[in-house]
Amino acid sequence: MARQSYQEQLTELREDVLYMSEVVMERLRMGLDALEQKDVELAEEVIEGDGEVNRMYLDLEQDCIDLLALQQPVASDLRFIAASFKIITDLERIGDLATNLGEYTIDAERDLFPDVDVQEMGTLTLQMIEDAMIAYDTEDVDFCYELADRDDDLDHFAERASEIVVRDLIERELESPDEVEYLLQDVSRLLLTIRDLERVGDHAVNIAARTLYMVENDDELIY
Amino acid sequence: MTNEQMTSSETESTDEHEHGREQQTAPTPGSGLTDDADGGGTRSETERTVLEARNLDVFYGDEQALRDVDIDIPENRVTAVIGPSGCGKSTFLRSINRMNDLVDTCRVDGKLAFDGKNVYDEDVDPVALRRKIGMVFQSPNPFPKSIRDNVAYGLEVQGIDDNVDEAVEQALKRAALWDEVKDQLDESGLELSGGQQQRLCIARAIATDPEVILMDEPASALDPVATSKIEDLIEDLAEEYTVVIVTHNMQQAARISDKTAVFLTGGELVEFGETNQIFENPDHDRVEDYITGKFG
Repeated sequence: MARQSYQEQLTELREDVLYMSEVVMERLRMGLDALEQKDVELAEEVIEGDGEVNRMYLDLEQDCIDLLALQQPVASDLRFIAASFKIITDLERIGDLATNLGEYTIDAERDLFPDVDVQEMGTLTLQMIEDAMIAYDTEDVDFCYELADRDDDLDHFAERASEIVVRDLIERELESPDEVEYLLQDVSRLLLTIRDLERVGDHAVNIAARTLYMVENDDELIY
Repeated sequence: MTNEQMTSSETESTDEHEHGREQQTAPTPGSGLTDDADGGGTRSETERTVLEARNLDVFYGDEQALRDVDIDIPENRVTAVIGPSGCGKSTFLRSINRMNDLVDTCRVDGKLAFDGKNVYDEDVDPVALRRKIGMVFQSPNPFPKSIRDNVAYGLEVQGIDDNVDEAVEQALKRAALWDEVKDQLDESGLELSGGQQQRLCIARAIATDPEVILMDEPASALDPVATSKIEDLIEDLAEEYTVVIVTHNMQQAARISDKTAVFLTGGELVEFGETNQIFENPDHDRVEDYITGKFG
């Protein structure tokens, strides 16, 4: 095969993007655990780890730019690099959202609403990222479409969870004026958590959409 | 150019020279393409075919260099022809203006029509044909004459002897060389740099008022700066001429062409399409493998 080192660089890019996704998923898992267990130490670890994700992002961005500038990729190679270039942005954003979970953990003074299963929602989103990255790695187009459908389920989950929180806010009998303050903090933090996890799902769909473009030159899922 | 012009080499007049461009707007007889009067169509729907090959085979002795080629090359656009060594891309270019006539063992079957007229018909004068379909080669080949005479030669063969200086200036301007040579028109064309010599050859080709300019690796012997100038010039030329360029440099094809034809081993035209489609999402796996460097 011609252009041996170029082919190796493409393989390396794919492996590096997959590695970045592993790191980001681990951060999200840690963020969810910190939130559930009110583990401030773990939360701080997630927040501090964001610098590493950002550096990975910048390195991979540079790798993509170098490949474009120096190798003039075309056809499926070009689409692979263009897709990877976009996917690392989604992964970096997921890293930021994991960091948010760490920050909510540190801010939280009381337990969250017991009726909202943040862990279950987190597990759904983690599974979506993992599957999106499998689709990217194996170029599985069916998986891409399936992920887009699963995002609708996640959105419904987020909607129902938000309703539970707001309904509880309306129906709750307050014991003291101080409680209003705490309650508002809890509610806004929980709504932000739900929104952030819902956005993680959106990023997973973006990854699937770029993968579909990469494999089939089809932009159907991009918007 | 009409078919009569192509078949009678001695009848060109200055009048035809001036009005020759307008004739190109007429639809090609039998091409099935007509001007889109409401202007609502895309360029690809309205473009006129200048060169049309059907079942074109070219043999050198027993060896087949082109195999059953079908292609419609549109007017006023740059068509790049790419493919690995020995794929027949230069043979294809040379079959357009019958340069292959000069090869004794060469045999051509099928049809290659220029403005609807098969250039291999017996009544076609290849010399007149080559005036309408000019050619620029890999190595610049100016005549060992002055810059002015190199260009004036193209006018001479057309029988134009009025306002020669003005016509020379026009041709040099169109070839983006005028500003660099206007003060040294009497110096030898061989004194120029490689890139300038190549533009001089383009000016010489333009001076015969061609409709099509064929280019065979026109920048492969030039440095990057001279190459950029030739590439800019090719894009400008496509406003007035139909350009067909053979290049082994795929990035060059991607940069400057509107359409790309990919020939692969065996003289087969595997894919022909819009350049961005070929380089972003080719239809054929063999083309994909070739342009990404997985084979060839």
